[in-house]
Amino acid sequence: MQRRKFNIIPVLFLLPSIALLLVFVYIPLIQNFYNSFFDFSVFSQTKTFVGFENFKALLADKVVSVALLNNVKYAIISVVLQVGLALVLAYILEDKLFHRVAPFLRVVYFMPVMISISVVALLFGFVYNPQMGLLNSFLELIGLENLKEVWLGNFEIAIYSVIAMSQWHSIGFVTLLFIVAIQKIPKELYEAADIDGAGKIRKFFSITVPQVKEAIFVNTLITITGSMLVFNEPYILTNGGPGFSSTVMSVHMYQTGFVKDNMGYASTLAIIIFILTAVLALIQIKLSRTGKDD
Amino acid sequence: MKKFLAIFMTVLLLALTACSSSAGNEEKKSTDKDVVEIDFFHRWPNEPRKSFYDQKIKEFEEANPGVKINVNSVLNDSYKEKIRVLVSNDDLPHIFSSWSDSFAQNLVSSDRIMALDDILAEDTEWAGNFIQSQFAGFTFDEKKYGVPFTVDGKAFFYNKEAFKKNNLEVPKTYKEFITVLDKLKDAGYETPLVEGLTNGWAISHYMGTIFQRVVDPSVTAKDYNVETGEFTDPGYIKGLEIFKELTDYMGDLSTAIDHEAARNMFASGEAPIVYMQFAEVKMVEDQGLKDFGFFDFPEIEGGKGDSKALTGAPEGWMLSKNAPKEAVEFLKFLTSEETAYDFTKTDGQLNAVQGAVDEGNTSPARLEAYEIVTNASATTPWFDNAVNINIADIFMRGGQTLANEQTTPEEIMKEVQAEAKRLKK
Repeated sequence: MQRRKFNIIPVLFLLPSIALLLVFVYIPLIQNFYNSFFDFSVFSQTKTFVGFENFKALLADKVVSVALLNNVKYAIISVVLQVGLALVLAYILEDKLFHRVAPFLRVVYFMPVMISISVVALLFGFVYNPQMGLLNSFLELIGLENLKEVWLGNFEIAIYSVIAMSQWHSIGFVTLLFIVAIQKIPKELYEAADIDGAGKIRKFFSITVPQVKEAIFVNTLITITGSMLVFNEPYILTNGGPGFSSTVMSVHMYQTGFVKDNMGYASTLAIIIFILTAVLALIQIKLSRTGKDD
Repeated sequence: MKKFLAIFMTVLLLALTACSSSAGNEEKKSTDKDVVEIDFFHRWPNEPRKSFYDQKIKEFEEANPGVKINVNSVLNDSYKEKIRVLVSNDDLPHIFSSWSDSFAQNLVSSDRIMALDDILAEDTEWAGNFIQSQFAGFTFDEKKYGVPFTVDGKAFFYNKEAFKKNNLEVPKTYKEFITVLDKLKDAGYETPLVEGLTNGWAISHYMGTIFQRVVDPSVTAKDYNVETGEFTDPGYIKGLEIFKELTDYMGDLSTAIDHEAARNMFASGEAPIVYMQFAEVKMVEDQGLKDFGFFDFPEIEGGKGDSKALTGAPEGWMLSKNAPKEAVEFLKFLTSEETAYDFTKTDGQLNAVQGAVDEGNTSPARLEAYEIVTNASATTPWFDNAVNINIADIFMRGGQTLANEQTTPEEIMKEVQAEAKRLKK
């Protein structure tokens, strides 16, 4: 009797979260798989079974390759800047030289993270504006008129302009995560290195990097998964344009479903995004486990 | 303590479920049988139209005791989404606003919209009051499913001062138009013509008009229908070439700005010509530019279409099938000459009710626009409403790509043809 009572309580506690997860995550997920085999519109209640047609369309869809490539560009640049540069930034901020100003600089770098991404995107719309935008005016001011660009209207540049904004927005967050990791490194290691006569760069590579290895893994995976799911930035800044040049997977999915009213195919695209991120999440789980074993 | 927690949680859960179910029921209570409730849904929660309609509702309720109007409103894009949800179940409001053509057609396809032919036939005085050409966008299978209310049209707005300074005449043909643009360019205008190409719909408005001028009407009628569309006519390629030629005058920046920015450039005198809707006249006037005129998209030499047709589509009102007869009365009230007159006076937008626009409630510029609308031989719907959105999207994205010189008209048409084939199935 005593034992049974003991079992009910944890179940009761879990129940609300399980129910919510079921309703809002798992059931829609399964339904999405089911929907991807149909062709249907939001206006009508009838669904036509099309089998694997949507998946075949996926292979023929040129936009998918453009979008995937853009996601990959997003991921690579984000990893280099948000993980690589953020680590260097964190190391510098934790250096004794910056001891006084570090708290202030931390706030400065973290500030963009606290602004809603939609607001940031609208702001950058003005920064990139070809007529009176800050960026072009600045280039003019320092005599680099020939570098002036139509940042969001140019086929080659649009996606990089979007990525650049994203870096500005997120680098502070990753930096903060690294600062926390660096603060956990025992001071003795650095003192020993000092005695050995190691310079700052040597200490960075020989102590900091190996010691925050786990944080690097985690941040890399957060950044890559984030890059695969990115939506707001390209959607607000360019709406995937000009043409499809700055479209990413989630923007493509949204437009297919809600603009072109092609819900079945949009479900198929959602599956691709799901598989990509699920694989990444699996890697993340796997890696963080090996981290603990060290 | 554990027991207490368990009980507490159960109670909490029960309370939560109880709350949600009771909230759902509350909306449905209509107790008083003498009062007829009309659900009225429109898309202007913004001023001045919100107060205008609130005022009109009050007037109607005072004149008709025993009628209560429940009003609800959300803005443009949200309206589109919400009405889509509402139309798929029985909660569709009794009277609501709708765009014409494909938007209306989608709603009609739900089988929940009332055909208005009988009502219009019963009250010929009211029915005869509308500008008849404006019914086209609400007519499907020869049945009228909506009444037009606001009218709109698209024309080139030009800066009269810039034209006078450079001794330019309003162009009658496309060739003359290009000459005008060249002269303006020589006169120092960096962008003699401007458009915000980031807005897909702005591109589609251009293309719709160009195709209407160039391609044979019987061909477009066939192609714009999903079931018969092929898009193999060479006129489309010519049309895209014309669009490309025009984008050359828009400068690099047009691919990065939106239509609003283009309008601001016109209002500030920076760009002398913009292709705009009459609904925008008031906005330009409010920004201080007064001396401007309009000309319709010029005739294209060798084009097979009607060169006098005007691109533009009305918005209007629809009734759901289960609307009570009081809702019909309310519709008549909303579209009466008096209401329409007040409407244009308050809001500035022109309306489809005859005799409800004159010098008294609008500016000379808008009156000129009104005359263009009423004198048009036919109205062509907005292109993105006229064709399937998947086709329109290829044209809109293609337009951006063309302006960037990344593709050719032939390639775009190949894509369109493939998509048309896919949609036919």
